[in-house]
Amino acid sequence: MATVLSAQGLTKRFGKLVAVDGLDLEVREGEVFGFLGPNGAGKTTTLRLFCALIAPTAGTAEVAGHRLGHDDERIRAAVGILTEQPGLYERLSARENLQFYAALYGLSRATANAQVERFLRLMGLWDRRGEPVATFSRGMKQKMAIARAALHEPRVLFLDEPTTGLDPDAAKTVREFIVQLRAEGRTVFLCTHNLDEADRLCDRIAFFRRRLIRLDTPAQLRSELYGQVTEFRLLPSPRPDDLLRVERVEGVRAVHQDNGSLIVTSDDPPRTNARVVRALVEAGADVAWVTERKVPLEEVYLKIVEPAE
Amino acid sequence: MIVATHPDRVVVLRTICAREWREALGNRLLVAMTLLPPVVILFAGIIAVATAAIYPPSERDVQAIYAAAPAVVGLDPKEAVQGLIATYFLILFMLIPTVVPLTVAIYSVIGEKSARTLEPLLATPTRVGEILLAKSVASTIPAVLVTWIAYGIYLGAVGAIGSRAAVNAVTAPRWILAIIILVPLLTLLSVNLGILISTRVNDVRVAQQIGGLVVVPVVGLGIAQVSGRVVLNNESFVQTAVILIVLDVVVFLLARFAFQRENILVRWR
Repeated sequence: MATVLSAQGLTKRFGKLVAVDGLDLEVREGEVFGFLGPNGAGKTTTLRLFCALIAPTAGTAEVAGHRLGHDDERIRAAVGILTEQPGLYERLSARENLQFYAALYGLSRATANAQVERFLRLMGLWDRRGEPVATFSRGMKQKMAIARAALHEPRVLFLDEPTTGLDPDAAKTVREFIVQLRAEGRTVFLCTHNLDEADRLCDRIAFFRRRLIRLDTPAQLRSELYGQVTEFRLLPSPRPDDLLRVERVEGVRAVHQDNGSLIVTSDDPPRTNARVVRALVEAGADVAWVTERKVPLEEVYLKIVEPAE
Repeated sequence: MIVATHPDRVVVLRTICAREWREALGNRLLVAMTLLPPVVILFAGIIAVATAAIYPPSERDVQAIYAAAPAVVGLDPKEAVQGLIATYFLILFMLIPTVVPLTVAIYSVIGEKSARTLEPLLATPTRVGEILLAKSVASTIPAVLVTWIAYGIYLGAVGAIGSRAAVNAVTAPRWILAIIILVPLLTLLSVNLGILISTRVNDVRVAQQIGGLVVVPVVGLGIAQVSGRVVLNNESFVQTAVILIVLDVVVFLLARFAFQRENILVRWR
């Protein structure tokens, strides 16, 4: 996949405060890229840099083939951003809000009308297109803001906390929309504190705290930190020597007991799990089921980001 | 595939103006604050001229008027009073372009600041200067139109009920030129001052109080003109116009300097 966004030594200082410190990054075309970090880590500043809203203090970046600081208008035309606040014109209707932005993105009247209808339908707001945005719920406003960010079909869409404050139904609509964008080949740069959401949606994840801490796929991050974890449920429950027996199996990195199960960490589960089952059965244990156990991304996040403080 | 581009300047101007007006019309308080000053000045002016047409002034008043305005000496006292009143109110008409657009311009920036609508707007391919210019135009046009319409109604009313001296006063070529040329210049000054102030404060009332100072020189000039210290002749008219043009340019550039993309996003609160 081609690179759609890259940064080399990107730095932003506000006086003595270093908000972004020498960021090196490459984001590929068509991927959902998670950008995770604690509050105040500089995520919003990074987004603003990539959207050519603020200028870097040092370093370079290229977004959608345009150099930051040289082709800023083209960058802004090629990207869309969902800001922390929906920032809609409350007295205007949903349709008027989107038509306003369509005009400022240089869309023709016919294209603008078609896009406004498409995105309002996609977000389930078409029936309320004529109503002032002031009458909308928080979730509806957030969906409106996402529609606004995607209206001109940008190559890169920056989403800052897209599902915060949304009910499960609205959050599902937004997640499905992100999946659809990826299917269309668009790149989504996602900032979120919802780690489960990041785990489900993102192809790769960057942990960031003023500078890049780690960057990889969720599976690889888990594997490196925890290996791959499998749960062996034994009936009625593991006997004292089952734990010792499994520990001695080739390929097992770690094992512990969790209620009626043995939790086994290994680097090559397909081979190691077969050996573990054989060892347990030969010792007379009843193995009820074997399931892959995903370490929550939250644990990975805490293990990586917290020590970086 | 849709390719977004930097829109044509005329499109930016038209789009932002249309949105500003659409939003302003939905704000009853803003509409009331825009229309109240011209309506009050207009009705007060018409009632004052009408009252002077009905009630003759006392001998003491006539002597005071002759002393204050030598141009009306020798006229019928009723006519002289009407002429003087009509002129006084023309000066008040020059206050409309300083008061009305100030409120609209302040709401235009502080309203966007408080509603957090500036960041998505700045994220479009539009240039900051274009946004600022559109906001200036959007605030200027209604104020100029309101002043001109109020002046037109005043002309009609004075023509219908006023004396020859009153009609002569309100149709004097210099006053008509002042309304046509100085009103837009004063309006632009007030608008850009409003925008400049709004970049530094977050409260509409505080911005109005600071911006209200723009009225002081206009009132001062008016008092000087009525008291005969300053006469609105060709020379003073050109001088005033030139000063206003220079001030307009300077204040616009200051507003443009304050209205920077990064400043707005990072420093404005």
